[in-house]
Amino acid sequence: MLQLAFDIGGTFTDLVLMDTATGDLDIWKVPTTPKAPDQAVATALAERIAAKELAPQKISAVMHATTVATNAILERKGSRTALITTEGFRDVLLIGRQKRYDTYTLHIVKPKPLVERADVFEVAERTAFDGSILRPLDEASVKTAIEAVKKGGYESVAVVLLHAYANPAHEQRIKALIRATLPDMQISLSSFISPKYREYERTSTTVANAYVKPLVHSYLGALDTALKKLGTNAGLSIMQSNGGLVSPALARSYAVRIVESGPAAGVLMCSEVGREEGYEDVLTFDMGGTTAKLGAIDGGKAAITPTFEVDTVNYARGSGLPLNITAIELLEIGAGGGSLARVEAGLVAIGPQSAGAVPGPACYGRGGTQATITDANLVLGYLDPDYFNGGAMGLDLDAAKKAVDSTIGQQLGLTVDEAAWGIHSVANANMERAMRIVSLERGRDPRKYAMVAFGGAGPLHASRLARALHIPRVIVPRAAGVGSAIGLLVADHKVDAMVTRILRLAAEAAPTVAAIFSELETRAKDQTASLNSKGDASIKRSAWMRHVGQGYEIRVDLPDGQIDAAYIAAMQEAFLAAYQREYGYTDPDAAIEVTDWYVAATITASRRKIAARVESSGARRPAKERAAYFPELGGKVSCQVIDRYAIKSGEVITGPALIEEREATTVVLPGDTASVSAAGHLVIEIGRPQ
Amino acid sequence: MSIETALRPEHNRTIDPITLTVLWKNLISIAEEMGTALRRTAFSEAVREGDDFSAAVFDRFGRMIAQGNFTPGHLGSMPFAVQNMLAYIPAVQLQPGDTLVTNDAALGAGHFPDFFFMQPVFDDAKELIGYVVNTAHHIDVGGVVPGSQGVQGTKDAFAEGIRILPVKLIRKGAFDEDMLRIIMGNVRLPEKLRGDLRAQANANNVGVTRLRALFAQYGREAMDDVMNAILDHSEARARELLRRIPNGTYSFDDKFDDYGPGTEPIHVCVDMTFEDGKLTVDYSRSSDQVPAGLNCYLNYSRAYALFGMRIFAGIDVPQNSGVMRAIEVKARPGSFFNAQYPAAGGGRAGCQVRIFDTINGAMSKVLPGRAMGAFSHWSNPNFGGVHPETGKRWIMYDLIIGGYGGRVDTDGPEAFCPVFNCANIPVEVHETINPTRIHRLELITDSGGPGQFRGGCGMRKDIEVLLDDTTLTLLSDRHKNAPYGLFGGKEGALGQTLLIRDGKAIELGSKEVCTLRRGDVLSFRLAGAGGYGDPSERDPDRVREDVRQGYVSAAAAAATYGVRVT
Repeated sequence: MLQLAFDIGGTFTDLVLMDTATGDLDIWKVPTTPKAPDQAVATALAERIAAKELAPQKISAVMHATTVATNAILERKGSRTALITTEGFRDVLLIGRQKRYDTYTLHIVKPKPLVERADVFEVAERTAFDGSILRPLDEASVKTAIEAVKKGGYESVAVVLLHAYANPAHEQRIKALIRATLPDMQISLSSFISPKYREYERTSTTVANAYVKPLVHSYLGALDTALKKLGTNAGLSIMQSNGGLVSPALARSYAVRIVESGPAAGVLMCSEVGREEGYEDVLTFDMGGTTAKLGAIDGGKAAITPTFEVDTVNYARGSGLPLNITAIELLEIGAGGGSLARVEAGLVAIGPQSAGAVPGPACYGRGGTQATITDANLVLGYLDPDYFNGGAMGLDLDAAKKAVDSTIGQQLGLTVDEAAWGIHSVANANMERAMRIVSLERGRDPRKYAMVAFGGAGPLHASRLARALHIPRVIVPRAAGVGSAIGLLVADHKVDAMVTRILRLAAEAAPTVAAIFSELETRAKDQTASLNSKGDASIKRSAWMRHVGQGYEIRVDLPDGQIDAAYIAAMQEAFLAAYQREYGYTDPDAAIEVTDWYVAATITASRRKIAARVESSGARRPAKERAAYFPELGGKVSCQVIDRYAIKSGEVITGPALIEEREATTVVLPGDTASVSAAGHLVIEIGRPQ
Repeated sequence: MSIETALRPEHNRTIDPITLTVLWKNLISIAEEMGTALRRTAFSEAVREGDDFSAAVFDRFGRMIAQGNFTPGHLGSMPFAVQNMLAYIPAVQLQPGDTLVTNDAALGAGHFPDFFFMQPVFDDAKELIGYVVNTAHHIDVGGVVPGSQGVQGTKDAFAEGIRILPVKLIRKGAFDEDMLRIIMGNVRLPEKLRGDLRAQANANNVGVTRLRALFAQYGREAMDDVMNAILDHSEARARELLRRIPNGTYSFDDKFDDYGPGTEPIHVCVDMTFEDGKLTVDYSRSSDQVPAGLNCYLNYSRAYALFGMRIFAGIDVPQNSGVMRAIEVKARPGSFFNAQYPAAGGGRAGCQVRIFDTINGAMSKVLPGRAMGAFSHWSNPNFGGVHPETGKRWIMYDLIIGGYGGRVDTDGPEAFCPVFNCANIPVEVHETINPTRIHRLELITDSGGPGQFRGGCGMRKDIEVLLDDTTLTLLSDRHKNAPYGLFGGKEGALGQTLLIRDGKAIELGSKEVCTLRRGDVLSFRLAGAGGYGDPSERDPDRVREDVRQGYVSAAAAAATYGVRVT
């Protein structure tokens, strides 16, 4: 049988066909068709089926990641959406949390909400924080709001009432009333989409869901039709931002959950690579053209956060729209190959502005004159001007030198090589700061982790980054260029359910805790019933906890089993242990409370074997030498250049060395060694700094 | 080596710009990491929601090298606080694991809720290599009103709670339990304060570990060179940027409504003199200090002058002692902005926006493109009392924030934090933890100052109190003196605070203290922000859009802008 995975990105759609019997992968890329993303997939697949004489009915599963929802938000091209809310609170979305994302700037603007002030309609009602009804729903006011929605030509409605997470009755009644008048309207209730407290974040999430829902609906329909037309026989699954696959039906209901699906799949690929190499604890480092994304896998599981922010300004926290969706934890910073360097106040500064695809780095020869990280890496000899992207594109070394010299060298009185090294090392310092946040500041000891580096520029910077943080080992996976698509092949089916109930932890709370988890587990199991996956779901509980009076919660994974006084004691202990790990101290006397409760139901994918070798177009290249910059060796030295796919098993390469493949170049530092593992990954042992 | 010798190092080695960049980033990231740890473990709403804290790394001479920038309110105070603490307890008396603590208004950040924690850092050879310092705003330090920020009726510092002159609160890593007991015996929410003191100690420990590692990796001499270079570099950059502003003295006068019901306005006057890359900010013409909890000690006045220069001169080097060498901040001793002990200053948070407004007014005369209409003035009320059933004390600290003034090319953003930088506290969080109910939170139509670019609207928030004998401490302004407009822009609407009791509205002063009954509703109505440019120049499409979105009524569109909207 065959399995198809594809990742629809902004520029390219990456596709992988895997033969489940042999583990062989067939990998290719086609340009994305942004207006109808299903078209590129259908055409590419039809061509492949014809070219390789495949039997389409042998495709038994289709898994995919998509930027459809994200792009609709970024480009504000979602559906015309109305918001119905509690009287007196029409401005919740516009007010937001009010904090500037840059304290030292006043000339900034706030994130633009997905609905305008004129799209908000109030209804008279009030629920209290404990779910009790303070003021019954005034149905006349609902009718007036529905009239306005009807007149306004809206395609989708979000309903967000105060404290609806504690009692959904009024929201549900409003839904019924809308249905009666407007049977085809898409409706998103906050008590269904995100039953969590904090009204701004809940409103933002529900509105975003409403905003992308009609679009996701029609896109999935078109994709399903296209695949059926090709004669496939496959169940379609979609990746969510939390790394779990779901059915189209669930993706339609919870459309907002697929916002960050591509990057999530990339982290799953790292998890699989770690598993194949025997590492359960992995730091992930994906450096592409505009950004670097850093994440972590603990005990084989990708770290999950309860919130995600979309449409940020310069990747700054608090500058975008918050979404209450579980997402694979990724820290994104403006440091990619195309990030622009400059002198600022006599120091080297980099990004977050990027040269983008046009003009691109100066060395692309498309008119760019300001130096980028890629220009510096070319000047330093790490990149081959004749073998960028497998030789598909020539790089202009002189243009890179000129840009580095004029942008940095002349201003700081440095040689071109020194200036290029400055760009390279300041980029590393920025990523080091980010990796510190992901590792040390979140209680992870980097010495116990392996780093999986991918993306076009990841393998080039990875070893320096590993050294700075004392990470002992870097793994550059095979087929790193289509990491997300490979991640889809190994993803599990997963759904989750979450609710806010603020509860002080004490032995007598056991029945309440049992009731909360029982409700969540029922919700999660109901969802798993609609998945394209057989097998039993395994249920994992966790809770967000803090000391009473604190404002930040930490996630604590909880055991299974019966919930009684002993279970509560175990919860308290688990919290203190997590607190110690996170912050380095504990206060056992301070009372503990839970704010949010979480259950994940996972149907584990049967482990698919992926072949060690992937098809690589382009002939093997003979080993050669090139001058590359290593300050520990005194500057530019002659350095061996090796074709990654020519490395024999058992062969050990001693740094300095440059290992090239089509999509990336790996820099092996003096003192480090590299070899290819049985699973086909490049593994670098980081030595002591010299 | 004395500080003087160190300030002029004999070994004047030069540091290459790359090493300088990388190590500078490292030092700042230490301060940021300390601050992040503090924010995430804090109990105080002011710290965790309001970012009212700061963390910094100092060299062994007590010069501030890097600061994690959380609130501008601590921009200038820390270097002085550190020198003041060392004057009480000199470096030779410090051991590894010791921590000096003070909350004095004059020595520290201008009011007692701010506690400074200063820990010396030693290398493996037990040599002092620097200090890590953090400061945090605690929710209550005792005194006459809950929250320790009363204005009316707080005549001097003796009514503001516990005052701690520099002491060694932590010795060799352990809190002095006797001293802790004295502190806990003087505050309303001792458990919360204790948790926050532990969080502050922990934040410093994070900094100690990292600073030691950095010194171990690069060595003492290199670190000395880097620290000197950071300060010199910062000073030179600050002067370079200040030099771009034409020489001259630019002045502006504004005022506060009063300092409690029935009192006179407080004049806020600034003279800013630029002279070849040196700036003197002088508040001396302002009113005298007042017998109420609103006075600004010089450390606080300085912080917002430094913030103003980050905005207007575009000072872009990270904050440290070097930047401060280029800017002198002064005020007549005994005046409102250089208050002398025992002046009360608990409510000085009510002053920061006005300090900036005044600097903004002065700078509008030379940098019109960077200036903006005056801000909507925020409100920072504290409610407090005792739960009758449990006997437990409660305090609700709130932040109500309006819009920005119009700017040279855009309308002022709505509902956005000015100057200081706080997140609001969600309605659903307040109602979950406090005996209050919030009935309304919305922008006030027609309150924004008209202009070619309109000022942001005022904010309305209605809060019902659910318990008798609730003490309310108000801290707001612009109830009598509206936010100004610039270059023909009109002023914003005045603010109001109404107490609605038994269906009747009673107007309260902006800084009143009063006792509330169950069922009372406080309606906070902030002033609108000032406009920029002549309203007759406003694009009629913008006016129509304002009416469509409800920021401006059709009647006001016709009357103010001459635009009819049907």
